[in-house]
Amino acid sequence: MNDTIIEIKDLKINIKIDEGTLTAVRGVDFEIKKGETLGLVGESGCGKSLTSKAILGINDKKCKAEGEIIFDADNLGKVNLLSLNPRGKEIRSVRGKQISMIFQEPMVAFSPMYTIGNQINEATLLHITKDKKKAKEISLEVMRKVGIANAEKRYDQYPHEFSGGMLQRALIAMALVCNPKLLIADEPTTALDVTIQAQILELMKELQKDFGMSILFITHDLGTVAKMCDRVAVMYLGRIVESAPAVEIYKNPQHPYTQGLIGSVHKIGTKNQDRLFSIEGTVPLALNLPAGCGFYDRCHKRIEGVCNVYDPSLVDVGDDHKIACFACTGCPNAKEGQGHE
Amino acid sequence: MSKGDKILDVKNISMQFNSKGVCVRAVTDVSFPVYEGETIGIVGESGCGKTTLGRCIVRAYEPTAGCVEYTASDGLLLDFLKIDKQTMKKYRKEIQMIFQDPYSSLDPRMTVLDIIKEPILANYPKMPKAEVERRVMDIAAKVGLNTTYLKRYPHAFSGGQRQRIGIARALVLNPRVIVCDEAVSALDVSIQAQVINLLHDLQQEFGLTYLFISHDLSVVEYISDKVGVMYLGKMVEFAPTKKLFEHPMHPYTESLLSAVPVADPTVQMERIPLEGEIPNPANPPSGCYFHTRCRFCTEKCKAEAPAYVELEPEHFVACHRAEELKLRGFSYE
Repeated sequence: MNDTIIEIKDLKINIKIDEGTLTAVRGVDFEIKKGETLGLVGESGCGKSLTSKAILGINDKKCKAEGEIIFDADNLGKVNLLSLNPRGKEIRSVRGKQISMIFQEPMVAFSPMYTIGNQINEATLLHITKDKKKAKEISLEVMRKVGIANAEKRYDQYPHEFSGGMLQRALIAMALVCNPKLLIADEPTTALDVTIQAQILELMKELQKDFGMSILFITHDLGTVAKMCDRVAVMYLGRIVESAPAVEIYKNPQHPYTQGLIGSVHKIGTKNQDRLFSIEGTVPLALNLPAGCGFYDRCHKRIEGVCNVYDPSLVDVGDDHKIACFACTGCPNAKEGQGHE
Repeated sequence: MSKGDKILDVKNISMQFNSKGVCVRAVTDVSFPVYEGETIGIVGESGCGKTTLGRCIVRAYEPTAGCVEYTASDGLLLDFLKIDKQTMKKYRKEIQMIFQDPYSSLDPRMTVLDIIKEPILANYPKMPKAEVERRVMDIAAKVGLNTTYLKRYPHAFSGGQRQRIGIARALVLNPRVIVCDEAVSALDVSIQAQVINLLHDLQQEFGLTYLFISHDLSVVEYISDKVGVMYLGKMVEFAPTKKLFEHPMHPYTESLLSAVPVADPTVQMERIPLEGEIPNPANPPSGCYFHTRCRFCTEKCKAEAPAYVELEPEHFVACHRAEELKLRGFSYE
């Protein structure tokens, strides 16, 4: 049952810019099991979107990805997606069919020039059938499934005739039309109102049950993560700093950054503390990073002479809870004795 | 909770926009009092008119009806929407605004120093240069900007820093009331917490009054003393924060609260779904505007618009059935 559908090993993404090479993703490891939802949480600029786009091979040419992304493809078996030609036939049989993506802003993700039906059909015609009539039937069925009322009429409408929430539903329909094994949702509800957001999240959960797919849920909103995810990985400056089952990470956050993130969100109904917990400073630019932990400058638990010298890697502390922090798991010398788990 | 004298009295504000013969009622008959030193949160879905309301109060729009009675620093009671240009100039600096998007609200061709300086130059053209500079430096330091970087342009600053620039610009004239329109919505969570703390500190120090417009209910619950809920241009409920979140009296407030994602996976609130979509404000429904989506709708609701009344002390609500309904809110510790 619980077999791994995708495994990412030591993923690094370098971006060439005028000032030099910027290492936006600095060695990311995670895996997603069948039917599971993994939340990838982090603030803007931490590399979460780059990571997800690397899976599909749709990053900009300036971005160079290294490492391994092992995907359990239907037609190819276990395959390293990074080794495939990004314009080749093989990745195309995966992209859009077995792995699909919901983008952040529905208003931008659709072309204003084509009808919604036309755009949903595109994937069907490419991957499933050449028959246009059949493709239309499939599209209409998915549109109904995601809760678009009056699907026949909506099929021939243009994106500007849809509201934000309806457009997000259409985007989900477009992603699901080929029945993918893995759905990447990049901030799918950030642009929506709370009521619509709740509807869309519930819809995604239901569809996950129906289709049995895995979801990589990318967001900076800890509220939606709590609602959606089985497991959570927290990313900071191109690294995963902590990963654990969702209940565990909210109950027992260990890494100072995770603690800061959770502490800085006010929970309704709790006593008003005088001030919100806040992490000092801002995320540094990933250009010429100093040695040591990326969070060193902002950390309230930093150990001088350790954290600014050695770079922590993820250590398993049991119960599927992994942390990359010397202050939590002990100093590097002691850790080397334990080895990595 | 600090409570002073009444500083603003918003009375029956309405704002209509006419375009191509279509009349859109963005705000309809909204009233609420604001006391000095308190924070009023205004929440609602996009398109409910909360931004328009904020803009009417600072008189960035000229409302089609209603008045905003303002008790000025010199004790004068003025109708902020009717005073002439000369008087306006004198008092406008007392009510300032912080804008939503820190990227488009700062002129990219002005240095940060010039941006923060501009309100002073406009209002006190005769102030000596050194004094202007000193004021800018003071306020920049207060909001946590590094004063050595003030000669730079906005593009060199991050989102959180830019929002601080916007706050500095609003504060430099020592205002008494600040309208914050989605002031922290565009920011990352950790930066959001920094800016909220900053707003809180500044309120303590200067005794500021905030009108905090946001769609983020957790932030509003944290920062506000009182909260108003808007739907389709009307204020449907207005009450002290805890009262509103614990015992909402309007069905719309109840659904809105039930949709808030709580950052705790062990809490699974049952959502009260809202049927359908928000109606077109150019063609609002008859009777109670909310009746098309309300699960408690009766014939009376379809025919007759409910009055906005004070059902309990300080708790205003516009619903025919508010008294009989037992609605669910958050449970407080």
